[in-house]
Amino acid sequence: MNPEFHRILRSPALWIGLVAVASLPFFLPNYYLHIATLTLVYVALASAWNIVGGIAGQLSLAHSLFVGAGGLLASALLLKLGVNLWVGALVAAAVSAALGAAIAWLDFRFRLGHLTFALITLAFAEMAEIIVIGWEFLGGASGLFLPKDTGQFSQMQFGGVQGSFWIMLTLAAAAILANLIVLNAPLGYYLRSIRDNENAAQAIGVGLLGNKIKAMVISGVLTSLVGTAYARYLTFADPYLLASPVLTIEIVLFATVGGLGRAFGPALGALLLVPLGEVLRGKLGGVLPGLHYFLYGATVIAVIMLTPRGLLPLIQDLFSGKRRAPSSGAPAKSH
Amino acid sequence: MDELLQALAQGLLIGSTYGLLALGMGLIYSVSGIVNFSHGDFVSLGMYLCFALFGALALDPYVSLAVTLPVMLIVGALIYRFLIQPVAEAHALMVVQLTLGVALALQNGILMVFGGQPHRVPSVVEAKLVMLGNVVMRMPHVVAFVASLALATALFVVLRSTDIGRAIRAVHQNARAAALMGVDVNRVKVMTFAVGIGLLAIAAALLAPGTPLMPSMGLRYTVITLLALVLGGMTNFLGIMVAGLVIGVSEALGMIYLSDTLGMILPYAVFVLIVLFRPEGILGQSRS
Repeated sequence: MNPEFHRILRSPALWIGLVAVASLPFFLPNYYLHIATLTLVYVALASAWNIVGGIAGQLSLAHSLFVGAGGLLASALLLKLGVNLWVGALVAAAVSAALGAAIAWLDFRFRLGHLTFALITLAFAEMAEIIVIGWEFLGGASGLFLPKDTGQFSQMQFGGVQGSFWIMLTLAAAAILANLIVLNAPLGYYLRSIRDNENAAQAIGVGLLGNKIKAMVISGVLTSLVGTAYARYLTFADPYLLASPVLTIEIVLFATVGGLGRAFGPALGALLLVPLGEVLRGKLGGVLPGLHYFLYGATVIAVIMLTPRGLLPLIQDLFSGKRRAPSSGAPAKSH
Repeated sequence: MDELLQALAQGLLIGSTYGLLALGMGLIYSVSGIVNFSHGDFVSLGMYLCFALFGALALDPYVSLAVTLPVMLIVGALIYRFLIQPVAEAHALMVVQLTLGVALALQNGILMVFGGQPHRVPSVVEAKLVMLGNVVMRMPHVVAFVASLALATALFVVLRSTDIGRAIRAVHQNARAAALMGVDVNRVKVMTFAVGIGLLAIAAALLAPGTPLMPSMGLRYTVITLLALVLGGMTNFLGIMVAGLVIGVSEALGMIYLSDTLGMILPYAVFVLIVLFRPEGILGQSRS
């Protein structure tokens, strides 16, 4: 493990920030806590996607499969077969892992290339949405209503928005931690070499199939778990939300705005855009539906035009520029 | 038997318009190497422009082309020149994210202006039917079929035997060599993008009669376009047109012979199989 990893984990700012965020439920009113919880959902989703889409450079548009499996399959198992939601979450995560491995295998076996990979995963996502909406077991077009949240932890109930906030915080932290671990472990170096040049990576002995499968499985399992927790939080597993390709597009845009391939980049994108979008939706949703999505779209266009690496590298440059200005000549950080 | 013929006719008629959509994208891809993920949302923009013109001036969608075509040509040129070109030169893959952003902004811009309830654009030919033996065809579909084939033919002729067509093919084959021969590559790229989006204004007018307009429909058109584009082999224009027909027919056959769900996924399944086993497209030469 790269020493950088331990340096980040030992940094006091990280822990102070985490404690500060974790104490939000004690003083935020419920409406804002709800927005904070949604933000964490997208922080977790964008960070999980980043392992495949950012670090490995595989522009997957099929992540709605994993969110959908986590949200709808686990809910269906509970409602139709009486399977405990915790168990259902694990089953859905296993299914997502298998789907992810299958997609990675297709990519490897047929040498899809970045562009075709994006196209084919979008086709998978469309197919998955049609299947989910036509399949009664998964709730069909009307979705699945979960039982009321009475706070029984053994049933994966967290007692309303406060408990859900902490669960989402845990998942978001886990997703970011997974990014940090991958980035600083050999896997992260393999994935980045695959991102930059698949043939060269293979020529120097980086296994394509194994590493692609690892990235997809880690990302898929995390995404699926977030999906289950998200459905549980909403108490309604909505196929048009959880299994829709639009969800993946949102995730991709958040990650791009924040900074692809960085541990904290996608989280930053979601942190900036989701609260803004949700507040706008709350205030103007009746008059101008879609304004928040419009804004997400406009933001990503602006970010790509002005600072294509994303906002996080820009902010880092600003800070390190100020700090290092006197002793210029420090080697530029390369990632 | 009648059922089969009916499905085939229906599929071919609709498929020709899919082919036209994909031809626009194929033209852009072969010259600029970019794939536009907001393609379908421009179709939806074109259809909503028809709707607005119908609402304001009671124009038939076919007539409103006189306005929508120049508007979309200009929009296409501006989008390419000011959004895509600066990014495409530096980060080719970023164009995917950029056009996804354009898609989200367009779709929801339409939602904000026109609202989420379905709209309709009527046309004088809408209710007319054409009988061919026992096969019944709706007039707008027949118009769409004839117009799409005519346009595709015109496009082939332009590409083959005009100066601008030769310039486009030159850039398609080798942009550097074309530049050395005095072709203004950037101008060609802007123009093909504008033409690709302009074709969508025509496709939108052809699709509009009888189709309920929803702001969210753009993504579906994008995916259908991508299916036809990849099936056709990305840069093989004839292949793309044929692929559009294949998608249309498999959609129509799936709707009739399979359950709703299975029928709807049939085109995607056909797509995935062909991409995996014939990545060069249905008409492509095998890469040996």
